[in-house]
Amino acid sequence: METFAAHPVPAHVPPDMIGDFSLFTSPGMAPTPNGDPQAASAVVHGGPPIFYSPVNTRDGRGTWVITRAQDQRRVLQDPESFSSHRSIFASALGESWPMIPLELDPPEHGKFRSLLNPLLSPKRVMALETAVRERSAFLIDRIAAAGTSCDVMKDFAFPFAVNIFLRFLGLPDDRLDEFVGWANDLFHGDNAKRPAAARKIIAFIDDLAAQRRAQSVDDFMSFLVQSKIDDRPLTDAEIRGTGVLLFVAGLDTVAAAIGFDLNYLARHVDDQRLLRGDPSRIVLAAEELLRAYPTVQMIRVATKDVDFEGAPIRKGDYVSCATMIANRDPAEFDHPERIDLAREDNRHTAFAYGPHRCLGSHLARREIVVALEEWLKRIPDFRIKEGTAPVTYGGHVFGIENLILDWS
Amino acid sequence: MKIIVHKDKCQGHARCWAMAPNIFDLDDEGYIMDGDIDVSEADEKLAWRGAKSCPERALEIVK
Repeated sequence: METFAAHPVPAHVPPDMIGDFSLFTSPGMAPTPNGDPQAASAVVHGGPPIFYSPVNTRDGRGTWVITRAQDQRRVLQDPESFSSHRSIFASALGESWPMIPLELDPPEHGKFRSLLNPLLSPKRVMALETAVRERSAFLIDRIAAAGTSCDVMKDFAFPFAVNIFLRFLGLPDDRLDEFVGWANDLFHGDNAKRPAAARKIIAFIDDLAAQRRAQSVDDFMSFLVQSKIDDRPLTDAEIRGTGVLLFVAGLDTVAAAIGFDLNYLARHVDDQRLLRGDPSRIVLAAEELLRAYPTVQMIRVATKDVDFEGAPIRKGDYVSCATMIANRDPAEFDHPERIDLAREDNRHTAFAYGPHRCLGSHLARREIVVALEEWLKRIPDFRIKEGTAPVTYGGHVFGIENLILDWS
Repeated sequence: MKIIVHKDKCQGHARCWAMAPNIFDLDDEGYIMDGDIDVSEADEKLAWRGAKSCPERALEIVK
């Protein structure tokens, strides 16, 4: 873990509202062999609807923590009071430009969403399905041909997610390993590797935009450089902000979801058999796995003073809406601790609520469903390889590494 | 049965459409079309499930 100086708790936070829970430092959040950080986060449901966590960001800042799904909905549906402009990516470089559209607030946000929504709409994603399926089948066939064991993240989840991303950008696969390296450094690197990776990603996006300006082809970046907002072309900063968000949001999250899902199934052979025996169950099962193993903690910044369920949120305070916490709220889900792959009433928040609902959610869903379908079709009963232990961790984006599966 | 569509609350999750594409129609951006939906008796169960699947609570069921 990185070290940082904790920020002092602001004076307006009543001492009795300080909680000792953090998605970074609580039990199960540091890298843990055979851990279950999503389940560990459910401990907050024994406490109040809102409390202050003194160290709940990567750089040691405190946040309010909203524990009830209903209250997270209120926060995330109200971008006027709770802004998402935090410059998450740029701040790693000491800069402050927004990733777009995530870190824009209304009304600017809506203009960019309307531009980008059609590219990732449910109907458009249906057209990408064949390519997604071919790619996952190719990777899993290669794994099956090579033996009876594999490192899921390295051999499947990352190359799969990165390939789909590159395809969306209209780029060939030849730089795939380089991209995986950037993503790894950006999300999991230390204080030297993170900014270095961020600069490489920016240079890549800028360079690609310049190429597509010079010569347009049928791909995402060409679309972006030709697009207009309010009758003017997008600025270089806007193109960069949009490209960077696509990179940040689309790679690690999908790969981690696939990892957590296969980790669960490896430990529940009955559920593997259930889905293998009736693949039509996979669509519903994927929703339950999204509920049980979401990976993102949303953070908003209060734009004004708000008294929220008795908590004095003050302008500038961070407010955390962790998907894994809302998804284990007993007021929202019957027996939330129980993973029931046939669960029907399942309004989970893996993709958040409100206007910033994950733009890529429809593609992510298809990637996860197709990955599970193709995996279960090709790989017989699998389990965690004896003598190995996957390592899980919490944080802004939950993750899993060293997931070695065996079907010998 | 009727479903009142609170268009301003729709955020394009498209869970209703995934559940019942013939009842819930989406625009090109993937958000629900404006206007309330009259549901035939045969479609009631499916429409109910679609409306109940909305994470934003944008679909209100009226008997």
